[in-house]
Amino acid sequence: MVRISRVMLKNAGHAIDKTLSEILVCPLSKQPLRVCEMPKALVSDTIGVSFPIKDGIPCLVPKDGKILEEVGDASKAS
Amino acid sequence: MALRLISRRFGSRILSYRSSSVASLHSHATSFGFQEVKEEDKSKLVGNVFTNVASSYDIMNDVMSGGLHRLWKERLVGKLSPFAGMKHLDVAGGTGDVAFRIFDAVNSVKHRALRKVDEESLEETQIYVCDINPNMLNVGKQRAAERGLRDNKSLVWVEGDAEALSFDDHSMDGYTIAFGIRNVTHIEKALSEAYRVLKRGGRFLCLELSHVDIPVFKDVYDLYSFKVIPNLGELIAGDRDSYQYLVESVRRFPPQEKFATMIADAGFEKVEYENLVGGVVAIHSAIKL
Repeated sequence: MVRISRVMLKNAGHAIDKTLSEILVCPLSKQPLRVCEMPKALVSDTIGVSFPIKDGIPCLVPKDGKILEEVGDASKAS
Repeated sequence: MALRLISRRFGSRILSYRSSSVASLHSHATSFGFQEVKEEDKSKLVGNVFTNVASSYDIMNDVMSGGLHRLWKERLVGKLSPFAGMKHLDVAGGTGDVAFRIFDAVNSVKHRALRKVDEESLEETQIYVCDINPNMLNVGKQRAAERGLRDNKSLVWVEGDAEALSFDDHSMDGYTIAFGIRNVTHIEKALSEAYRVLKRGGRFLCLELSHVDIPVFKDVYDLYSFKVIPNLGELIAGDRDSYQYLVESVRRFPPQEKFATMIADAGFEKVEYENLVGGVVAIHSAIKL
């Protein structure tokens, strides 16, 4: 029981991220988002904007999105 | 015959939208309580209000409404008829009041026994709490942790804007917004976003402070709002101005009938509203068909 819950806790982070990327879309383009591990963010490839995830809470307010400078940045981010 | 009825309905809808709505919508977008502000500033000003009140938000609700807000939220959730496996979006739900109630309703033993719910459906239940203010969300997350729900997959906290939701079209079975829509700069945008994310058959429910018309009671309510509440805000939250904004914003919000029209304009059907406490609070409900 303890072992199972420990595993669940470890996977909770990943599971939540996966759920997030499945249901969340970019608030501006309404297109699917990509999960980026480091730094923790959700990336909207269609318009080249990344939204941070702070304390496990994705911040998808349009004005909080950071524009990814160039193609180089986008590949560095993933 | 049916075609003529429909086209007449559409015709009158377009006419009424053009004439009356534009002026009052614009006035809501540029009003911060009784002050006039620039449209682009309203969001920031409201943000400051909620950042300031976040930590005492729940206790102030209890004090200001004499605990009644709990009953109002119960009624809201009751009207929603939550079911296991549902995808629900609670907008402006920062501290989680409505979300927790929906969670409890779905997971209650009585509910499960009555509806023969299986474990899998329960796990698929997803309640998204969306709020534009991170401080409010943090309070909500903390409350979830206190209830032992910190890592529960059913509750998902998202920071987002009611006017530009980050959820896919036709993805939600239910949408609630409790005491939040009057703080939105462009109500019609929030309503059309609500329409967008709901599935067909999805329910829209809005709980909001509204307008009282009953003669003597109206004066008592006005007195209470403008004399007592800002003082309570000062005493308990140490912030008179935020609560002054809150009571003023209630007066600036469209009355029940007008708001119902706005909801219908967004495309919803079967728009109804129920006044509670003589109109101090109203629950507007609608369905996306």
